[in-house]
Formats: sequence, structure tokens, C-alpha cells
Amino acid sequence: MSERIVKRNATSDVLTTTDSLLRATGLTAAYTVDGGEVVAVDDVSIDMRRGEVLGVAGESGCGKSTLGAVLSLTLRPPLFVRSGELEVDGRRLDLGPHQKPPRSWRGEVVSLLPQGAMNSLSPTVRIRDFAYDVIRAHQSGVRRDDAIERTRQRLEHLDLPRRVLDYYPHQLSGGMKQRVVTVISTLLNPRLLIADEPTSALDVSSQRVLIEMLKEMLSEEIIGGVIFITHDLPVLNIVADRIAIMYAGQIAEVGTARDIINQPRHPYSAALLSSVLVPEPAMRRTRVQGIPGAPPSLMHPPGGCRFHPRCGLVMDVCRDQAPPKVGDERRFASCWWAEQNPGQNPSQNPSRAREV
Amino acid sequence: MRLRKYLVGKALWYVGALIVALVLNFLLPRLVPGNPVDAIVAQLGRSGAQAEQLKRIHEHYVAEFGLNQPMWAQFFTYVGNLLHFDLGTSFAQSPAKVGDLIAEALPWTLGLQLPAILIGWLVGNGLGALAAFKGGWFDRGAFLSSLFLSSMPYYCLAIILLYLFAVALRMLPPGGGYEPGLMPDWSLLFATDVLRHYWLPFFSLVIIFIGGQAVGMRSMAIYELNSDYVNYGRGLGLPDKRIVRYIFRNAMLPQVTGLALSIGTLVGGALITEIVFSYPGIGSLLFSAISQNDYPVIQAITLIIAIAVLASNFLVEIAYGFVDPRIRAARAGER
Repeated sequence: MSERIVKRNATSDVLTTTDSLLRATGLTAAYTVDGGEVVAVDDVSIDMRRGEVLGVAGESGCGKSTLGAVLSLTLRPPLFVRSGELEVDGRRLDLGPHQKPPRSWRGEVVSLLPQGAMNSLSPTVRIRDFAYDVIRAHQSGVRRDDAIERTRQRLEHLDLPRRVLDYYPHQLSGGMKQRVVTVISTLLNPRLLIADEPTSALDVSSQRVLIEMLKEMLSEEIIGGVIFITHDLPVLNIVADRIAIMYAGQIAEVGTARDIINQPRHPYSAALLSSVLVPEPAMRRTRVQGIPGAPPSLMHPPGGCRFHPRCGLVMDVCRDQAPPKVGDERRFASCWWAEQNPGQNPSQNPSRAREV
Repeated sequence: MRLRKYLVGKALWYVGALIVALVLNFLLPRLVPGNPVDAIVAQLGRSGAQAEQLKRIHEHYVAEFGLNQPMWAQFFTYVGNLLHFDLGTSFAQSPAKVGDLIAEALPWTLGLQLPAILIGWLVGNGLGALAAFKGGWFDRGAFLSSLFLSSMPYYCLAIILLYLFAVALRMLPPGGGYEPGLMPDWSLLFATDVLRHYWLPFFSLVIIFIGGQAVGMRSMAIYELNSDYVNYGRGLGLPDKRIVRYIFRNAMLPQVTGLALSIGTLVGGALITEIVFSYPGIGSLLFSAISQNDYPVIQAITLIIAIAVLASNFLVEIAYGFVDPRIRAARAGER
């Protein structure tokens, strides 16, 4: 399958120079464990345009944080990239078990906005000194005063108080810490920001402030695009332009946020959405449905379609043959059912209602 | 303002601890069975003096040392003398002043211990941090040998080194601070001789110390390596050396305590090492004083040890505030 994707990329190289921000192909990453490997990201390919926010959603253990670590080049043992290719804003990078990603990419081309900013800052380093360290890691010989002045301007531009520069991390509130970390992550105007659950530890008003800050930075082209990893579908509905639903290390479905939420094609997307409480009057009579079973162990993933043991629309072919990608790179579902029922929403299918 | 209040409060606490130490210093040697005068007189008796004479000498010494006075009166004389920085006269080596005996022995102990502790601390922490950061075979080798060394009593290594280099290989002298025939002066000959006598006790201390520090630093650094800020720093492209510096600063906190406490216990810390190598330091002095019930010398040395431990603890508390802003904030009453 990866071969097919590579070929398609080769023909559409022209697109790269115009509005393509990210083209990731065949990303595969595995944890080495006693007696083998657990493939946490299995041949994932992602396409993104400039200015886009791509939401990545899925249950715990579906590989979304691992995908974030692969894209932000922050994999640590026992996690290794097996293969893959990144192209960010026209710059290419081959990934592999023996390739050491260049330090200059991290923070400048791709940058990480970490999960739970609580401990992301060293407790004994002032914000201004950390900002200086980040800037001088990429611009050797930069003057300390200049680096701090640039950070101060960025803070004020984003309506954050300049006094935080003099603070130690423990002097910042949770929401403020997350915003300061966001400013530091974007100090070098990275082309792609990988935000791994940035809002998960925040209350709703801090979430909103953070999302507005990200959108402002996008519209001013401080950052080129955002990959927003979360398990929080309502947040994705607000922030994401497109959504990728991950299941067991693979992308089950990709599409615009509106398509995924209103017209899901993969039974898993539909099931995930139907397990979310929506506080709207029209939903009052709809039963919230969970997904039966639990995500599979990635040590021994089920054959065929990985979702088949939990799927209400399972067919014989699902049990032993990997599903095809139905659609193109920007809107597809990896599903046999979607192939046989083009354009239909699995949650409105009568056979599903009978099953559950 | 609150910081000053905090410091004054702490200082008072340490003064209180010092007073308790003073009382114990005075009391404990006197609880040891036996009497220093008995020891002196017994020695004289062996040299063939008459019983009547011995009794008179005994009384003379008891009066001279003030041992016929009640305990509390002795205590106040002791404290009164201390206030004049008078440590008294040695019983066993009368009429030598205790202050002179200590002034003679202290440079040997400091010269042996201070470099051993400082070098051991630096090398040990560097080794521990490096082992944690590098991992793999280097880590395993460094960790296992450090663990082995740090769990070995330091006099064991002293005896092993003594046997190996002084007895079996005859490369280095087995003991003493310098050759018995030499007179201490500032000549090159004397300096090289002192150095030759220095290696064995020095290495027996420094190797053990490196092991202990490396084990502690390694586990602290491994804990820090897994923290979020290390991953974030990598994600922002910080160079390894910068990240190691962050790790080192955060992992160092408990190690600073260790350093200060070793400096505090430095005076009495190498007692057995000094005895093994018959090194002319405080340890040897204390050992002979104890065996002779020489109260003033014992008291003076334990007092110095107590003051050193208290002072270094006090300094650690202040130093902590400089290394860790959270502790500084808690002290000043901030959030």
C-alpha cells in the first residue's frame, strides 16, 4: 500500500511548492519490548495544506501521541521509527532507525507543544533564560538582550504580560503556563506545530484562550499549520479544519471537520462520535452509545480490518483482508463497508441498529 | 523582611543545638569508666615509684585538673574557658595546651580530607550524570563498580591498598605523614616526601567517595531524564549539553546536601583511615585521647566536629535557596 502512495506523491510534486505544508508518507514507528516489537504507528500518511489545523483523535493507546512524537522528531527509546518520509514546507527528511534527525529541524521546522505543560519547564530556570536558550540553540551568537527582547515583543503581541519573563515556572498558573509554553514553542516561527493534548489539563475558559491564540498565530503566519492531538472531540469541532480518526496505529478516516462530524463513513468514527454527549436539545432523545469491547493490543492486532471485532457492520471480508482506502488523500475511510456503501453514514444504517 | 526573620529563627535554632552539643561533649567523656589520673599514675607506678609518692602525685593531678570539684563547677569552668577560646590543657600530654595539639593535627586532616571530598564530589557527580545520560555498557560498568565501592567500608579499601602498594609491591610508604627522620619545613625534599605518604590515604578516601556520589547522582539524573522538560527541550532543538546542564542543576540539590555534610563531618570522618596509615591528623589524636581518657582533648575535638556539622547544615539551608527558587519562595512567604 505504501508503494501506491509514494507513486502518487511523485506525480503531484508540483502541489508541494504551492500550498502543501506537510506530506508525511509511510510513517511506521514501533516500541521494542521484551521479545519483540509493538508497532504503534503503522504506515500512516498525512497531507496538510498551509494554514490548516489537522485534528488527530482516537481512544487511548491508538497511537496518536506516538504519531505526534514521530512528527515532532522527539522519539525516545524504546520507541523507534522504522521508516517514513517527511516533507515540511518543501524540506524533505528521511526517517529510519539509523537516521538521526537534524537538531535544526526541531523547534524551527517542526515544533512540539507538549501535553500537560505542568512539568515541561525546568523548575530552576527562569522563563527568559529558557527563551534565550531556545533562540540561541538555533541562532548561535544571538545576543541575550536581543533574544529576551524578541520574546517580550512576542508575549505582548499575544496579550500576555511581560512580567512572566522574570518568573520561574512555579510562579505561573496552569493556564498561563500553557500559554507561555505555547509562545516558547512558536518563538522560532515553526512551520508545523504539533500540539499534543494542549488543552486537556485546562478549564474551558483557558481552553478557549489557548485556541484563540493558536488561530491568531495561524492567521498571522507565525506558524504554518497545527496538528492538534486530542481525545476531546468537542474541542476538535471548534479548532480543527480537518480531522483524522486513528484506530490501533492506523488512520481510520480523514476528512474536513464538518464531514467527519456530520457524515462519517467509517463505522469507528461514527461510533466514536455517538459516544460523545452533545448538550443540544435535538440530541436529548438520542441515546449515547458506547463502543463495545476495548481497543486491541498492538502486540497482536487482529487480522484484516483492525476494528472488525468491535464493529457493528462487520462482514466476512473484514476478518481476513485489510480494508481499502476509499477516497483520496484528503478525504478517505479505510473500510470495506464504506466501499460497498459509498456516501452513506454508518450510524444511520439499519443493520447497525439491529446489532446494538 | 520575612527572609531575615527566617534566617534569625534558623540561627537561633542552631545556637540551641550547639548548647545541647556542648553539654553532651562535656558529659559523655566523663561517663566512660576510669579516670585519666589513674592512667597517668599507673604508668608512673610501672616505672617503680613508691605507693606513698604515687598517692601524692594522684592527689596533685586531681587538684590540678580540677577533678575534685563537683561536676557542675567543672562544667562552668569549661564553658568559661571556652568563652576565652581556651580549650584547656591536655591531661595525658600535660602541660601541652589542647589548642596547640589540635593546631598541629588539623592541617594534616584538612589537607587529606578536603581535596579528597571536593575531587570525589566533582568526579563522582560528573560520572553519575554521564552514566545516566549515556546509558548502555558505560552506565552498567560505572554503576556496578560505583555501587561496589560505595558499599565497601572505607577502612577496608584502606587496608587493601596498604597491603597492595606498601607491603606487597613496596611502592609507597606504609604510614605516617612523612619520614621519621625529616624535620617539617618548606623544602622541596619534605614536600615530595609528604606527597609520597599522601597517596595511599588520599586514594582510599577519594575512591569510596566517588562511588557514593556517582550512585546518588546517577539515580537522580535518571529520574530527571524522564521528566517532561527534557523531552520538551529536545523538541525545541536544544543541544544536549544545555539539557544536561538543566538535568544537572535539578539533580544536584540532594548532592549539595551530601557535599556540605561530608565537609561538616570531615574532621572526624577519616578517623580509621588516619589510624590505619598512622597519619598525624585529628583522627589519630582523638583515638589516643579516648584511650587515655584525656577529657579536654576529646571535648575539644568533638566540639569542633559539632560546630562544623552545624555550620555546614546551616550553609546548606542557605545554599538551597540559591539553587532552587521554589525553596527561596517558600521561605520568603511568596506563592
